[in-house]
Amino acid sequence: MSELIWNLILLILSAGLVFAFIRLARGPYLPDRVIALDLISILAMGFILVYAVRFNQPSFLDVAIILAIISFLGTVAFAYYIERRW
Amino acid sequence: MHRSILLSAAARYLMPLMLVFSVFLLIRGHNEVGGGFVGGLVATSALMLYAIALSPAALRKLLPVEPHLLVSAGLISALVSGLIPMLAGKPFMTGLWLKYPIPVIGKVGTPLLFDTGVYLVVIGVVTWILLTLAEE
Amino acid sequence: MIALPILLPLLFGALCLMAWQNPRWQKAFSLLGTAAQFGAAIWLLIRVQQNGIQHLQVGNWPAPFGIVLVVDLLSAIMVTVAAAVALVVAAYSQAAIDSPRVQYGYYPLFFFLLMGVNGAFITGDLFNLYVWFEVMLMSSFVMLALGGERPQIEGAIKYVILNLLSSTLFLSALGLLYNLAGTLNMADLALRLPGLETGNQITLIAMLFLVAFGIKSAIFPLFFWLPASYHTPPVTITALFSGLLTKVGVYALFRVFTLLFVQDTAYTHTILLIIAGFTMVTGVFGAAAQTDLRRLLSFHIISQIGYLLMGLGMFSQPALAASIYFMVHVILAKTSLFLVAGIVEKMEGSYNLKELGGIYSTRFGVALLFLLPALSLAGLPPLSGFFAKLALVVAGFDLHQYAIVAVGLGVSLMTLYSMTKIWNEAFWKEPKDPIRHAKHKPISSWLWASTAVLVFISLLAGLLAEPLLNLANQAAAQLADPSIYIQAVLGVAP
Repeated sequence: MSELIWNLILLILSAGLVFAFIRLARGPYLPDRVIALDLISILAMGFILVYAVRFNQPSFLDVAIILAIISFLGTVAFAYYIERRW
Repeated sequence: MHRSILLSAAARYLMPLMLVFSVFLLIRGHNEVGGGFVGGLVATSALMLYAIALSPAALRKLLPVEPHLLVSAGLISALVSGLIPMLAGKPFMTGLWLKYPIPVIGKVGTPLLFDTGVYLVVIGVVTWILLTLAEE
Repeated sequence: MIALPILLPLLFGALCLMAWQNPRWQKAFSLLGTAAQFGAAIWLLIRVQQNGIQHLQVGNWPAPFGIVLVVDLLSAIMVTVAAAVALVVAAYSQAAIDSPRVQYGYYPLFFFLLMGVNGAFITGDLFNLYVWFEVMLMSSFVMLALGGERPQIEGAIKYVILNLLSSTLFLSALGLLYNLAGTLNMADLALRLPGLETGNQITLIAMLFLVAFGIKSAIFPLFFWLPASYHTPPVTITALFSGLLTKVGVYALFRVFTLLFVQDTAYTHTILLIIAGFTMVTGVFGAAAQTDLRRLLSFHIISQIGYLLMGLGMFSQPALAASIYFMVHVILAKTSLFLVAGIVEKMEGSYNLKELGGIYSTRFGVALLFLLPALSLAGLPPLSGFFAKLALVVAGFDLHQYAIVAVGLGVSLMTLYSMTKIWNEAFWKEPKDPIRHAKHKPISSWLWASTAVLVFISLLAGLLAEPLLNLANQAAAQLADPSIYIQAVLGVAP
C-alpha cells in the first residue's frame, strides 16, 4: 500500500518536472523561464527528499539542504539581470 | 540599481546559517558526504549572497582578510598536514588521527587539516574570481 | 624526500600569494624558491643515479592502490633541467616582467606552473598525471592571458580550446584503460597489459594517448595552437613555456610508449616515426616563411619536437638515450634563444627581422649570446646539438632507418639556413633606421647575466657530452626494460 503511495508521489513530482521543463523551453519571456527554473529546482528538492525517505538514504538529505540554500541564489541573480536589462 | 530590502534583510540571517552549514559539511566530510570542496563552495555562495544583496564593496569590508591570503593560508595548511606525519617518521601525507574525538568537532587528524586547507583555497579562489567579475 | 620538487613550488607559491602587495618580496621568493628547487633537483638526480629508482607511497597507501611518486633517471634529468630553466627565467623575470603583470600574480602562477610540471615528471600514476597536467595548464592559461592585450587573448583562446580537447581525450583514454585493466598505476599497468587478450583495444587506447599528448607536445598535425599563441605573451613567459610545457607532453609520450604500450611496437612506434618526420619538416618549413623572431623560433620548437619523437619511434636503447640527451640540449638552447630574442626586443623595440639590424657591430655580446645556442640548435660541432644529432643518426644507422635519418639531416640543414637568416637580418645587415638604432636603451644586468648563464650551461652540455650521454644511456636502459620500473615500484618481478 505505502509502496503505491510513494510511487504515486514520485510520479506526480515527475509530471510537475515535465510541465516545468515545457515552460522553460517555450518561454515565451525570460521571466517565465526563470520562474520555471526555480520551480524545477524546488521540485528536484522534493524529489530528492522523497527518494531519501523511500530508500532510507539519509545522506541524500544534505543534497536537498544544499540545493535549498543555494538554488534561490540563481533566481536572485537572474532577477538582478532582468532588472538591469529593462 | 536599487537594492531589495527584503533580500538584504534575509541575507543577514541566511548568511551565518549557510556558513555554519558549510563548516558542518567540512568537518563531517572525511568518511561521509561532504568535505572541504563542497563546504568551501557553500561558504562561497553565502558570501556571494551577501555581495548580491548588499554590494561587492560591502563584502570586501566584511572579509577580514584578502582572498589571496585565504588561498595562501589554505595551501600552507594543506602542506603542513602532509608534513606532520613526516615528523612522526611516516611517509608524506599519511593520515594521523588523535586518539580521542573532541566534542562537537569529532575525530581530529591531519586529513581534517588538509580538508580545511582545501576549504580555504576554494573560498579564496572563488570569492576572488567572483569579486573581480562583480567589480568590473 | 622525493616529493620536494612538488612541495617547494607549492610552498613558495603560497608565500608569493601572501606577499601579494609586495612585489619585492615576491621577486626575492622567486629567486630563493627556484634556487632551492635546483638544489633539490640535483640532490635527487645524484641519489637516483647512485641508488636506482626512488619511489614514495603518498599517504602510506601501498602502491597499486594509493598514489605513488616515482623518480627514475629520466624523471630526475627532466626535473633538473626544468629547475635550471626555472632558476634562469626567475632571474630574467626580475627585470623583464612589468609591474602590472607582477601585481596580477605572475610569481604565484610561475610557481604553480612549476609544481604542475614537476608533478607530471615524478608521478607514477596515470590519473595523477592528468591532475598535474591540469595544474600546469590552469597556470599556463592565466600566464598566457596575463596582461590582457588583444593578441594575447586571441592566442590564449586557441591554446585553451585545443588543450581542453586534449585533456578530454586524455580523460576518455584513462576511462577506457581503467575499464580494460582495472588500474591506473603505471607499474601495475605495465605488469598487467601484456597479459590481457585484447591487443587491438590496447593499440586503440595507445593512439588516443598519442593524440592527447600529441596536442600538448605540438606534434604534426596537431601543432596549430603553438605558433598561434606562443608569440603573444611577454618573451619571458614564452621562454618558460618553450622550455617546459611541450617537453612535458613529450615526457608523457616517452613514459607511456616505453612502459605501457610496447606490445605492438611494429605498429605504434612506426606511426611515431612517421609523425616525427612530418613534425620536423613542417616545423622547419613553417619557420622559413616567418619574419617575426618569436614566431620563427616557435616553429623551430615544433621541428625539434620531431627529433625527440624520432628517438622514441626508433625504440632502441641508444636511440632513447640520444633523444633524452637531445631533450636536455633543446630545452637549454631553445630557452636561451627566446631570452636573447627578449634582449633584442628590449634594445631595438621590435621582433620583426625586417626592422632589425646591425646588432653585431654595436652589441657584440648579444650577438655572441645568440650565435652559440643558434648554432647548437642547427647542430654544429662542438656544441650540444651536434652530439645530440650525431647520437640520433648513429642510432638510426644501427637500425637501418635511413629514411628518417635523411629527413633529420635535411631538417638540420634547413635549421642552419633559418638561423643564418636571423643572423643576417637581425645582427649582420646595416640597421634600417641608424638613428633609432644608435640610441638603444641600456639593458638590465639581470637580463644579461641570466641569459649568459643559460648559454653557458648549454655550452657545458656540449663540452660534457660524454658523461651526459652516459647518464642518458643509463636512463634509457631503465626505459628499455620496464621490469626495472615495475620491480622498483611494486617489488615484484613480472
